[in-house]
Amino acid sequence: MAKIQIKDRLQLGLAVLTAKTVTFAVRSLKLGAASVLPGEIARRLQPQLLQLLSRQVKHGVILIAGTNGKTTTSLLLRTMLERQGKRIAHNATGANLENGLMTTLLANTDLVGKLDVDYAILEVDENVVPKVVAAIEPRIILCLNLFRDQLDRYGEVDSISQRWGKAIATLPPDTVVIPNADDPTLSYMGQQLPQKVLFFGLNEPEHYLEEIPHAVDSIYCPSCGHSLDYQGVYLSHLGDFCCPSCGFHKAPVAINSQEYPQILIGLYNKYNTLAAVLAAQQLGVDEATIRDTISNFQAAFGRAEELHINGKHVRILLSKNPVGMNETIRAVNQVRQQSSQLAPVLFVLNDRIPDGTDVSWIWDVDTEKLVDQGGTFIVSGDRVYDMALRLRYSQQEDLQLIVKENLRDAIATALEHTPADQTLHILPTYSAMLEVREVLTGRKIL
Amino acid sequence: MTAFPITHYHPTVLTFMKVTKIELTIGWLYPTLMSTYGDRGNVICLRKRCEWRGYTVKVLPLDQNATAVDFQSVDMIVGGGAQDRQQEIVMRDLRGTKAETLREKIDNGTPGVFTCGAPQLLGHYYEPALGQRIEGLGLLDFVSIHPGTNARRCIGNLVVEVSAKRLAQELAAMIGSPAYLIGFENHGGRTKLGKVEALGKVVQGLGNNGEDGTEGAFYQNAIATYSHGPLLPKNPFVADWLIQTALRQKYQSPISLSPLNDALAQQARDAMFQRLRVKTPVIAQN
Repeated sequence: MAKIQIKDRLQLGLAVLTAKTVTFAVRSLKLGAASVLPGEIARRLQPQLLQLLSRQVKHGVILIAGTNGKTTTSLLLRTMLERQGKRIAHNATGANLENGLMTTLLANTDLVGKLDVDYAILEVDENVVPKVVAAIEPRIILCLNLFRDQLDRYGEVDSISQRWGKAIATLPPDTVVIPNADDPTLSYMGQQLPQKVLFFGLNEPEHYLEEIPHAVDSIYCPSCGHSLDYQGVYLSHLGDFCCPSCGFHKAPVAINSQEYPQILIGLYNKYNTLAAVLAAQQLGVDEATIRDTISNFQAAFGRAEELHINGKHVRILLSKNPVGMNETIRAVNQVRQQSSQLAPVLFVLNDRIPDGTDVSWIWDVDTEKLVDQGGTFIVSGDRVYDMALRLRYSQQEDLQLIVKENLRDAIATALEHTPADQTLHILPTYSAMLEVREVLTGRKIL
Repeated sequence: MTAFPITHYHPTVLTFMKVTKIELTIGWLYPTLMSTYGDRGNVICLRKRCEWRGYTVKVLPLDQNATAVDFQSVDMIVGGGAQDRQQEIVMRDLRGTKAETLREKIDNGTPGVFTCGAPQLLGHYYEPALGQRIEGLGLLDFVSIHPGTNARRCIGNLVVEVSAKRLAQELAAMIGSPAYLIGFENHGGRTKLGKVEALGKVVQGLGNNGEDGTEGAFYQNAIATYSHGPLLPKNPFVADWLIQTALRQKYQSPISLSPLNDALAQQARDAMFQRLRVKTPVIAQN
């Protein structure tokens, strides 16, 4: 444990004590799960809180950043480590801004500010990465992908990987960086870093898409600006690429993707699996445990999570941005193709802060691919009519569309339309996913 | 859904003309570079509304691979928002005869809808938060300036009453009441209009610059706006105005548009007006 000055120690103790009191108060008054506020208050009492806490984590902090897949990857890595008997702090509720990270660490801290865990797995919002890496000095950083997400909050995605690279480059040389080789900007970032860099990516051309989808952010060379040549695309702009102008190309990967099975459904989960495997290997988890965890993995809430409701099978697929929804549609299509009867699909579109207040992105999603398959579509959420319009403009012939403003009605209707042996797929945005789960399981999780 | 048309166009405006086969080409400006915020919804909306009426539609990308002849061949133009770097790549390509053709088309009344980044390219210049000023075509008399990385982005739901005189009249004639546009703005740059007419007055939101109450611009038959959403699906009368104008330009005779079922668009509009507590004149229904 790093040395801490007496003054800092006192401030830390005060901050921790206050935070714990706040957590207790919030929970006893049933105001929520206290996943953000205690951290925020404690930070004001001790500005270096994040640094003081994270340096106490015994074997190091693992940061997980990226637009999609943070929660599933974290959960997989966490399970691998826990099966080795390690104690983990993890911001499992998805509170991934600075105050959420602090709240997570505080929850594992005793009253004098002593943190006693082996590892901390911290999911970090892509915009917060540059702000927190210096304070946390993580042992491992996973850079999963960068897609268009919540443009209302960030404006533009272009500069994010540059800011990540700049911040990470200042970390100690023994930091391990695990970027996605198939994502051009991250591949480029990794190739520039002085640290130990291990890339993950797919080498499975049989999964190439037939065409590059519209919801693509980065098909221009991050090095020279020329448009990239793709030998094949796995999803969005992730694929096997090279630049015909400057020669920049996909970085060599550290593990062979064909040697690992994947968790859950959807090709995107193959990436999540590979990232977690590389991190686990670096932390000394044995290969048998890694493989066994993959084959027995259960979904994180709302991420391809499966429930049984009144004898019907329900699968919730969080869909919060164009790439995410395109990929969930691809996965749903595969399931529906193999089934004898077409079960309905329920979309729930909200526009609250955690969802992003701009719902324009649904027009970048290839909903046509799902609507073409036919069947009944049910829509709900704060922006139910926006989703309905998107589907109406996807239609070829007849569209069987049911509009339900009320979410309970929407879910009940969807279940009624689902044949007994078939799967109802629900595609919600983030806050909608929490509501859907609440309706289906009868309890709040956050 | 049951089919009942909500949008009723006043039949006096239009007379039936027999044109055996109607074909329209939609030119889409730099689709992979300028479509960051769902603006392809405008293309989808125009295409579907033509197809539902039995027209043949072609969507032609006006990008690096397109020639001036391609630019010349289109009946409607759609341009979407772009990130700063992409906008630079576009402006490097949009030069010479291509730029000249686009300028002529717009000058001669080819209808178009240009959102966010696309209008910045039609104006005199755009000054991004970082980096150099990007020169535009100078076709529409306005400039756009990003006040810096620390300035707040203009983000939120946007309601605009169309004020551009001829457009306001033509839209009002179509729907029987003043036209209110509904959308979502999401821009860092601020636009100051010169002599060009504003598209509308801001009812809710910030519009061109958050100061003078104007939103967008209207020149010949080109609509420039900060409104994503995308604009057309929730303002289907604007889509139909663009189609109508394109048909008139191409076939030199009025062609009546058959009404479509816009019940969902109307519900989406009502829900947003209600949420924003915007009072709009009741849309006349026959």
